[in-house]
Parts: sequence; structure tokens; C-alpha cells
Amino acid sequence: MLGLAKGLGYTFKKLTEKKVTHFYPDVPFPMPPRFRGIQHFSPEKCIVCNQCARVCPTECIQLTGKPHPDPEKKGKIIDTYDINFELCILCDLCTEVCPTEAIVMTNNFELAAYSRDELYKNLKWLDANNTNVREEN
Amino acid sequence: MSALLQQTPSWGTAIWFILAAVVLLAVLLGFVTYAIYFERKVIGWMQLRIGPNRVGPLGLLQTVADVAKLLLKEDIRPKDADKALFTLAPILAYAPAFAVLAVMPFTDSIQFADLGIGLLYYIALSGITVLGVITAGWASNNKYSLIGGLRSAAQMISYEVPLVMSVVGIVLLTGSMNLKDIVEAQRDVWNIVPQFIGFCVFIIAAQAELNRSPFDLPEAESELVGGYHVEYTGFRFAMFMLAEYVYMFGMGTLITILFLGGWLPIHPALDFIPEIVWFILKFSLYVFLQFWIRATMPRMRVDQLMSFAWKVLLPVALLNILLTAVVVSYQNGMF
Repeated sequence: MLGLAKGLGYTFKKLTEKKVTHFYPDVPFPMPPRFRGIQHFSPEKCIVCNQCARVCPTECIQLTGKPHPDPEKKGKIIDTYDINFELCILCDLCTEVCPTEAIVMTNNFELAAYSRDELYKNLKWLDANNTNVREEN
Repeated sequence: MSALLQQTPSWGTAIWFILAAVVLLAVLLGFVTYAIYFERKVIGWMQLRIGPNRVGPLGLLQTVADVAKLLLKEDIRPKDADKALFTLAPILAYAPAFAVLAVMPFTDSIQFADLGIGLLYYIALSGITVLGVITAGWASNNKYSLIGGLRSAAQMISYEVPLVMSVVGIVLLTGSMNLKDIVEAQRDVWNIVPQFIGFCVFIIAAQAELNRSPFDLPEAESELVGGYHVEYTGFRFAMFMLAEYVYMFGMGTLITILFLGGWLPIHPALDFIPEIVWFILKFSLYVFLQFWIRATMPRMRVDQLMSFAWKVLLPVALLNILLTAVVVSYQNGMF
């Protein structure tokens, strides 16, 4: 019988205690610093080495390059760069393998969309996704 | 209202009766809406959450939205269900829940019918709901429904015995089954004091009668996928839920009347506060207790359930009757 009273007393005390609910959609949720979120891609750093597309376990990265516009210089520059977020598992391998840090992780994670087409993110979108970039990549 | 009842029945009086019933129904629906809202809020607070807060200001329209969703749902009836019984069951469960309120004296003047055996009427009618539940379980033609329905029937019948036994003490003390007389007899001291054992038994048995935690086995979602109303959807399901909360309303009024002195103030000096306010205050206290208990206690095991009713509650209730009888006959100069 004492146990019942104790239990009731405990829950009653909790009634007025501070709530732990985070007002997530109204207030943004700060993610931990090593969180793996949506990638940010900076085309000027990319050397079109194709390593990210090769290492990707779900093969969600597609990229094409074109010859450098300045004929003096060797190598290529990036032409198109698409990540399919229907497939991407945000495993961090592409950013780890990238030799120039052209592709890095951010702390953004909101990917919900009404159409599947919206989950194909192109170079422009990934370039614009430059907020909350992870400090260490 | 009582004056209307004594008139010769005519279309005029019939319209008044219907109007009064509709008003009561409206009050009930309002109560149920905000009881559910308040229940979710209180349980949320006790679990360190904040509860519903998205629909309307402070989430006040949450239940309205939920009910609107229920009513817009497709009404599904299983192919092999018993058509007639399947339709009848929700009505059978809800009608007595509403009918018991006819005898409840909310204040000295607000009452629908002043029955000499008001208490007996409540107990007799509330027994019919078990029938609705077991009909629902049977008519759904589903094993979980049937198990839930049978469990519920066993539980409600078993706990009805101590429930009735615990109020016999009050009937002995008052010498009347009229609910108004019972309240009037509590002018000096509320029944909760001389009938404390009866009160404890009553509140436990009431919890089981209402199928509320810790006795919510009939709808144990983790083992019976929902109990007797598994197969019910939309409007019919809403009827069952409504019946449950209306019973809570009925049980709350009954406890207030029997043990907490109905509309009487806590002290005669506080007489200036209207009677209905006192009633609502005591009633809300009981409703809050319901939510509080639900937030605190886990569900009872099914094998402990029956033995608890028959081996603990019933003997205690009988002992209470014996003690009350001895005291009452001593006061009457029998010894």
C-alpha cells in the first residue's frame, strides 16, 4: 500500500517539473559536431577524380567533368554533380575519400519532400547548401 | 424537471424531455472532449512531456480533430461478422451509460428524475454495458475480440459484486437508496469518513468497472491488439470510446454523491459558493485521480485480477457491511 502512495507522489511531483520536450520544428535542433548530414559541394575545389562516385556504397553519386577552359592548364573541371538522396545513406565515405575537401558534410538533415524528384540534388543545390558545414572533415 | 414528470404526458412535455436530454448530451460531449484533452495533458506532464499543443490554441481542439477524423473514416464491417449484433453492440454499450445519468442529482434542483431507488437503478443499468461489450466481442468474429470481450465480461461482473457491497454500508447508514437523501444525510460529515473502507473498495472496484488502468485488461493493446473493439472503426468505435468516458462521468458523479457529499460545501460557512461549483469541484477531483492513477500504475496481470476481486475486495466489503451494521444497530439501541 505504501508503494502505491509513493508512486502517486512521484508522478505528482513530476507534474510540475520542467518538461524535456524539445520544440523541434519551431526551434531548430542543434546536432552534435560530428553529425553526418547533407553534403555541401564546392565545384571550384573539385578535381574530377571520380573517387567519391567509386567509393559510394549505394552508387548514388553521378558526376561528369569537362576539359579545363584555360588550354594552358591540365586536368578537368566539374560539369555536373548529382546526389540521389533516395539512395544516399549519409555514410560519410565520399567526404573521407575526397582529396581536396570539395565534398563535405553539413549538420543539415531535413530532406522530407512531397515528390521523389525533389530528392535528386544537383551541383547548384549542393553548392548552395553551405550552412552548418561540419568543422572537421 | 420533477414537476414535468408528474404531468400527464403530452407532445409538449415530450419536447421538453427531448430538449433536456439533448442539453445533457451536449454537456456530456463537452466533458468527454475536454476530459480526453486533459487526460493527455496530465499524463504528458507527468511523463515530462507537454502533451497535445498543435491543434488550436494550446491544443484545445485536438480531441475535436481526433473525433472528426474518426467520423470521416470508412465504416468497415468484417465479412463474417454478425451484421445485426455488430451494429447493436455499440448502442447497447452506450445507451445505459447515458441512461444512468437520469437519476443523478447534480445539485438540489438540477436532477432529471428523483427515484426512490436511484442507487439501485444506477447499478442495475450499468450492468447492461457488459452485454454490449460481450456482444461486440462475439459479433466481430475475431478471436482477440472474443477474448477481450470475455475478459471484460468476467472482470466487470466480478468487480460489480464488491462495488455493490461497498455501497450497502451507505444505504445502511442513510436508510435510503434515494441519492438525494444520501447527500442530505451527509450534512454533518461526509460518508468518506465513516465509510472509509467502503470508499476504498468502491474506488478500486469503480476503476475495474470503468476498465481503466490498472485494470484496463480488456483493451490490453500489447496482448489483445485492442480487446473487444478491434474490428470497430469510425463512428461505431467512437461510440465505444464515448461510452467509456460517459461512464467515467457517471462514476464520478456517483462517487461525489455517495462519498463526497454531493453539492454540499466543505464547511457550512462556505455556503455562498453555488452548489453546482462544489459539485464540479469534487467531480473534477475524482476525474483527476483517474488520470493520475493511469499515469502511475502498470496494468494488473490477468491471473491476479479475479482472485483480487473475490479474495480481497469482497471480504473487505463484507466486513465493512458487518461493521456498519453493528454500529448502526448500536446507535439504534439494539445492544
